[in-house]
Amino acid sequence: MPDGAQPVLDVKGLKTVFRTRGGEIHAVNSVSFDLRPGELLGVVGESGSGKSVTMMSLMGLLPSPPADVRAGEVIFEGHDLLKCSDEHLRSVRGAGIGFIFQDPMTSLNPVFTVGFQIMEPLRKHMGMDKAQARKRAQELLELVGIPDAGQRLKDFPHQFSGGMRQRVMIAIALACDPKVLIADEPTTALDVTIQAQIIELVRELRTKLGMAIVWITHDLGVIAGIADRVMVMYGGQIVEQGPVKTVLGNPQHPYTRALLTTVPSVRGARTAKLNTIEGQPPILKAAPVACAFHDRCPQAFDRCARENPARIPVGGGHDVACFWDPATNGARNG
Amino acid sequence: MGHAMADGGAPKKLVEVRGLKMYFPIHAGLLRRKVGDVKAVDDVSFDIYEGETLGLVGESGCGKSTCGRAILRLYDPTAGEIRIGGAEIAHADAETLRKMRPAMQMVFQDPQASLNPRMTVAAIIGEPLDEHTTLTKAEKNARVYELMDQVGLNRTFANRYPHAFSGGQRQRIGIARALALNPKFIVCDEPIAALDVSIQAQVVNLLEELQDRLGLTYLFISHDLSMVRHIADRVAVMYLGRIAELGPRDGLFETPLHPYTEALLSAVPEADPDAETTRQRIILKGDVPSPANPPKGCNFCTRCPKVMDICKSVKPDLIEVQPGRHVACHLYNQTTTMTAGQMAASEAKKSIQQGEKR
Repeated sequence: MPDGAQPVLDVKGLKTVFRTRGGEIHAVNSVSFDLRPGELLGVVGESGSGKSVTMMSLMGLLPSPPADVRAGEVIFEGHDLLKCSDEHLRSVRGAGIGFIFQDPMTSLNPVFTVGFQIMEPLRKHMGMDKAQARKRAQELLELVGIPDAGQRLKDFPHQFSGGMRQRVMIAIALACDPKVLIADEPTTALDVTIQAQIIELVRELRTKLGMAIVWITHDLGVIAGIADRVMVMYGGQIVEQGPVKTVLGNPQHPYTRALLTTVPSVRGARTAKLNTIEGQPPILKAAPVACAFHDRCPQAFDRCARENPARIPVGGGHDVACFWDPATNGARNG
Repeated sequence: MGHAMADGGAPKKLVEVRGLKMYFPIHAGLLRRKVGDVKAVDDVSFDIYEGETLGLVGESGCGKSTCGRAILRLYDPTAGEIRIGGAEIAHADAETLRKMRPAMQMVFQDPQASLNPRMTVAAIIGEPLDEHTTLTKAEKNARVYELMDQVGLNRTFANRYPHAFSGGQRQRIGIARALALNPKFIVCDEPIAALDVSIQAQVVNLLEELQDRLGLTYLFISHDLSMVRHIADRVAVMYLGRIAELGPRDGLFETPLHPYTEALLSAVPEADPDAETTRQRIILKGDVPSPANPPKGCNFCTRCPKVMDICKSVKPDLIEVQPGRHVACHLYNQTTTMTAGQMAASEAKKSIQQGEKR
């Protein structure tokens, strides 16, 4: 990596395959990325692009079968999480790497109080006793901006609104001061005004706690507001990666370019007609041998159907997996 | 676009909604006594002109879907009048209503749930024709194929079942079914919410093409402000069962009048990192109150950054403050347009009032 800092999380060549009755689905195909301390990495892609599966496979959260993590390594604090013991993995989950799931309605246990659910990781991982854990749980609820925190610990999840439940999820994920926080579409199920509250909260917490965050979303607008770096996924692969300003300001991959123009804006000029990406996202029955986007790509040429492009650096920590060069509107050298 | 203005002259009203109320009773206790109402739609009035798209936006639970369903009499409204093409809908009996159904149709939010998994595409699209027309089998087939062409579905898929289609294609099936009886008015209830971004644009473009070709009138219900800005001619913003602001699209998005519209627009993130760092956001505090127990006075007063004393006691009416622009807010009560000076004056007045209280 160009920057000197050691990555906190280093993923190399991750491959995940689902075995289904209809054959194998190659959901994650040789995904490599790293996460540096304190940075916020945005992961964008449509549903089925493999963004959630990537993050879940690196923490061993996918049930096997049907999921099978075929290859790759995930280095976190000197250990390969794909090869280490279940016990070690358990000590990493929650304590080293926190996870916020997409749906705050279903990811909290309805039969336990919110306090119990926040205290659980504290007692398991940090060896706190009940009184200490309760004190810390109250602090956490205050940290995520839930009023009257001490009383609310005794409440059950159904007594909270969607935005409040997502705050509870964040509090649980933050409980053991993780080095890495993985947030899987944390605001997708929420309304825009509540989404704005949660984004503001994460911004604040980041400066306060300084952890590295992976933020999965399909909303480029959210990414633009909070991420340092962005990774665009399509067909289980990373097609473009780089600092958020260069990727959104000067997108290199036709998919990223299309994605940026297909979403209308609430400000600025209004187009008469929306740009569309024709066709459907692919279902990957086998490991890709061609560019996954070639049949929807307006720029595709014959090489795209024969060969799967590797990620090529284009300068400034920005790389793209594409044979086409927007600068010359022709084939990319190399 | 501006379909409404296309043929010159005064645009004709197709849909008129007056004082629409839709309350759902709450039953509680051992005897299931009625203890209150969820006021999902609480006194809503608006018009939709022929050939235009009215966007209805708001957060989840604000009553926008209930409103759309009540207009088509999928619910029996608690009070109010609904007229579509001059015909009274709200109190019509079942037989009259059935005869009016072909003119008003609906596209549902979840294309997975709104299609019968045991019917083929041809049967789904053909069902309204069975119910409301006396076409022969051959005529019906021809019409089904014509509809499939119109929405961009391959004719050879006519005998497949919904599971064989992707989300975007299923939504096209739903649109074809809605079009089968040549309706004038279609309520689109979050038609793109369940779709991926790259597919959303395809469906929105299809809806616009169909409108141009067939002269349809839409009520487009969505929580996606950017999509509404794209498709709608006029926009109504709902909050907690009431319309906060109603006006032409450009004016409403450029200079929102109601503090809620302002906050809602400022909360939408933009895919431009430079703009994002400099943009001023209005972060609303707290959550939407329960519609079973809305706050007294203006229903937005618990979260409003510009709240005044009067807001907590008097319900503001939806009034026209500029040509075509309606807003329900006490900030605009005395004068049509408030200048910065007047705003400051009212602020000062407010602090005096508070001072007197203490």
